[in-house]
Amino acid sequence: MSWRSTQTVDGRGRRGVGACAASDARAPALRARGLVKRYRGGVEANRGIDLEVNAGEVVSVLGPNGAGKTTFLRQVTTELRPTEGGVEVFGVDAVAAPLRAKRLMGVTPQEAGLFEQLKVREHLELFARLKGLSKAEARAASREVAEELGLAPESGKRVGDLSGGQRRRVLLGLALLGRPPLLVLDEPTTGLDPASRRAVWDVIRRAASRGAAVILSTHYIEEAERLSDRVAVILDGRLVAFGTLEELLGRLERSYRVSYRDPFDPEGETRSLYFESFAEARGHVQEEGLSEYTVARASLEDVYFALTGQRATEEASEEVACGV
Amino acid sequence: MRRLNEITCVFRIQLANMRGEAGPFLLAAVVFPSAMYLFAGAVGGAGAATGEARLRFLAGSIVFSLSLTSISWLGYLMLENRFTGRLKLFATLPLARSSYVFGFLGFALAQGALSTAALLAVGRWAGVPVRPSIVPLALVVVLTILCLCGLGAVVAARARSFTEGSLMTDALGAGLVFLAPVYYAPEAMPGWLGAVSRWLPTTFAASAVRTALSGGHEVYGEALALALTAAATLALGLRLMKWRED
Repeated sequence: MSWRSTQTVDGRGRRGVGACAASDARAPALRARGLVKRYRGGVEANRGIDLEVNAGEVVSVLGPNGAGKTTFLRQVTTELRPTEGGVEVFGVDAVAAPLRAKRLMGVTPQEAGLFEQLKVREHLELFARLKGLSKAEARAASREVAEELGLAPESGKRVGDLSGGQRRRVLLGLALLGRPPLLVLDEPTTGLDPASRRAVWDVIRRAASRGAAVILSTHYIEEAERLSDRVAVILDGRLVAFGTLEELLGRLERSYRVSYRDPFDPEGETRSLYFESFAEARGHVQEEGLSEYTVARASLEDVYFALTGQRATEEASEEVACGV
Repeated sequence: MRRLNEITCVFRIQLANMRGEAGPFLLAAVVFPSAMYLFAGAVGGAGAATGEARLRFLAGSIVFSLSLTSISWLGYLMLENRFTGRLKLFATLPLARSSYVFGFLGFALAQGALSTAALLAVGRWAGVPVRPSIVPLALVVVLTILCLCGLGAVVAARARSFTEGSLMTDALGAGLVFLAPVYYAPEAMPGWLGAVSRWLPTTFAASAVRTALSGGHEVYGEALALALTAAATLALGLRLMKWRED
């Protein structure tokens, strides 16, 4: 089975896997323009988000709770109608033609329930049929997705008998069915143990390597760092940063971090200071006579906290500067 | 063809998910209505032994069963889908909202056919003089189910919580039966209640089912009333259902 990011129609005129007759193969997998979502009551959850995701690319969306990540993704998946702006999926206007756009997507919503009495195999097969696959294709897709997600031994089990992590994997499996060219995953690894999380990362990487575009929201910075080609940071409904890891690190004025323990308080917490260059960081270590320290390039975590200001609140001693 | 496949899949998902709930379904669809048939006979006094009275009780039990399975049971399932996030699973698929609704209605019709057939068998076993006119009976049962499902859909779409919704569907399912002259003659009701109950869908349903069970075909007036109510409630339920939020 291969991922198909090109749009074709099969001989029977049926829309193929990852295909849509009226979509544009050259268009970005996802293009959000000026996306504003204003809820009744005046709360503005998204305040003009512009973002593009290309085929074969993994984009992670980071942001604190309530920043507007899920609102953004729900507009992409057509669950929410934008107040202003637009969303295109492979050139298909997702606001005006949600059904056509959804044929190009696989979605894992953040809070979705499964049918407890259905067996895993039934669940996957029936949802594959709902995605337009024939009976034989649905059976094959169900088997492959179950194997890919390590759910094959559980295929005959009722969903109600699965653990929380296994259920989360079934949800992810529903998104993968039919190999859609765009995957929209809202916190796909929340609640998974470290081994399962890594297994899911592998699945996402494989999907991208086969040509699928993946946009996912996550609270795990390590996940975003390891998986993403580009990272988007949403804060207070605005896209405050979007780029490759290198580009985001480049936005830090001081991108070298010295982590150390205070020699006069060896039991205390590790502290961090940021410097413009490695030499400057080393100079500080020598100047202070630090014996227990590390000098490293700043990470996505540093960028994230610099952008969101969260760590500044939690650890006032830090000196983080960012040219945002 | 695609639409038919979608409807069939929604139907099959609901059907497969009912495996562990067959017991409660049988209670609502057959056991309670059968018990109500016996209860109505027991409290009906001397007049309850007549064939006409027993026919009324059986018709009442069929409507009771349709009400329990369509409003209370189906309403509960719709609420469950909405509040456990299952509706979201459907809404994020390339699936038309009408396919979801028709799949659900197909499931309701299958349940209604099963429960009506079971209650007819109970009636025959109890010696009720049943001479059903199949086409009018089927028409009335289908319209009654659609009408009551529409009401269940409205409640399921409007409820602010699962608890509120399930209490509402239960109250509506039972209330529509016991506030209508289903098990007794309309004349037995207090004046104002009689005036209100005359317009309840269960009143039309019970009257039409009774006519069809006694071999009559004159159910057109009731069928029209049920069809209009079904169209109104289903349209409202469909409109209120949040497939896509604004």
